Amino acid sequence: MSKPNASWKILGLAAILPILVLVAIDVSLGDDIHPESFKRFGNAVLTSYVLMGIVLMGNLFFYADSRHRPLAPFVGMMSAVGVGILISWSLVSFDDLLLEANSGMRAQMLSNIVHLLVSGTAMLLASILALGMTFATITGRKRRVLFEEEE
Amino acid sequence: MFINRGVAVTAMDSMVEAAIWFWIPLILVPIGIWLAVSGKAKNLGKILSVTGFILVLISSWTVPSSDSTAAGHLLLSIMAPSLLLAYGIHGMIFGGNVPVGKLDNTARWSGALAVIISIVIFCLMHWYSFTPLWRNGEVNPYWIVFWPTFLLFSTSLCSVASFALITFGDDRFSESIKLASLSVVMTGVALAAIVFDGYLTTAEEFRDYLWLAAADIIGTVVGIMMAIGAFAIVIWTYEKSLPPPKNSLPPSDEEIKHVVELAASHIGGEEE
Repeated sequence: MSKPNASWKILGLAAILPILVLVAIDVSLGDDIHPESFKRFGNAVLTSYVLMGIVLMGNLFFYADSRHRPLAPFVGMMSAVGVGILISWSLVSFDDLLLEANSGMRAQMLSNIVHLLVSGTAMLLASILALGMTFATITGRKRRVLFEEEE
Repeated sequence: MFINRGVAVTAMDSMVEAAIWFWIPLILVPIGIWLAVSGKAKNLGKILSVTGFILVLISSWTVPSSDSTAAGHLLLSIMAPSLLLAYGIHGMIFGGNVPVGKLDNTARWSGALAVIISIVIFCLMHWYSFTPLWRNGEVNPYWIVFWPTFLLFSTSLCSVASFALITFGDDRFSESIKLASLSVVMTGVALAAIVFDGYLTTAEEFRDYLWLAAADIIGTVVGIMMAIGAFAIVIWTYEKSLPPPKNSLPPSDEEIKHVVELAASHIGGEEE
């Protein structure tokens, strides 16, 4: 019997390996790490955290319906999102830490949202392709007879 | 009093225009989806999200001065191959052995053809004149964000799906090989873009954005996981603070008798 932890590690490796291979080929062609990579990573983390937090805050309304509408989880999630916004604001406005090719903090934050819209669409489309093909290969197999009575 | 109409009619500030024609419609999309999914106002939600989405798509015409509308223009440009991809995937899944909603067997082949054509169209958008052009005949700046992200993420996900079928599935080797092949094909497309120049973009630009796409993907996944983690902590903390539910009293004889009567009325039929 396979160990569940080992399986998850293999899946993690399967996810990261193709990206690492392509980036390694990129490096082998003589390209250095893009200087803006860290900024992009930081902006992506903070923007997706805040936007996902807002989406989950909307989800709390469904949760509240089954719990006599408590205020505490809503306030908690508001605080979590607020901390995210505060960190984004401070890091973007701090010198040149997360500021990309934009004129100022507001332009950077709006640019982050639009950037996430585009990269999110790319990831959604890739997910449709990968998950769809997974189901297509599964349903493409001829029906297996499990019991003789099925004939 | 003389009123100069030219002075009275003030031109809208470009920021306000961008807010009205791009940002507010963009915000309306998730709000509409939320209203539709929550069931609070299904029809209004659908109308809001569809209207918002259409306004975002046409924003490069309604508010051409805003740089953000390049995203709307890109979404419009990739709409046709994306819909073809979705149609193809639907046909491939439901043209196979599914218990409900089965399509004609030919749907599987037409679906496969649609998926291949959609990927070929995406490739032609990079290597031929289908590249989305924005202002003054320049390449849409978000195309070079979309394309490497799509290639990297699909390569990665197909690889995960392939390993998942082997690890968790039972006798799924042939299906796993097919998904691994798709992952290799997408890697091949990405490699071709790394080596060969596109129609309007260079291989060097693509290589630059490959780093940024990797940073984008990893950053987005990390951010989403952090938000889900924060959500789980908030809910767990609240649930932990609640008093334990009181045990209900055992059923009385009368209640037991009623349940037995109900059960008896639903059990019956002739023995074979």
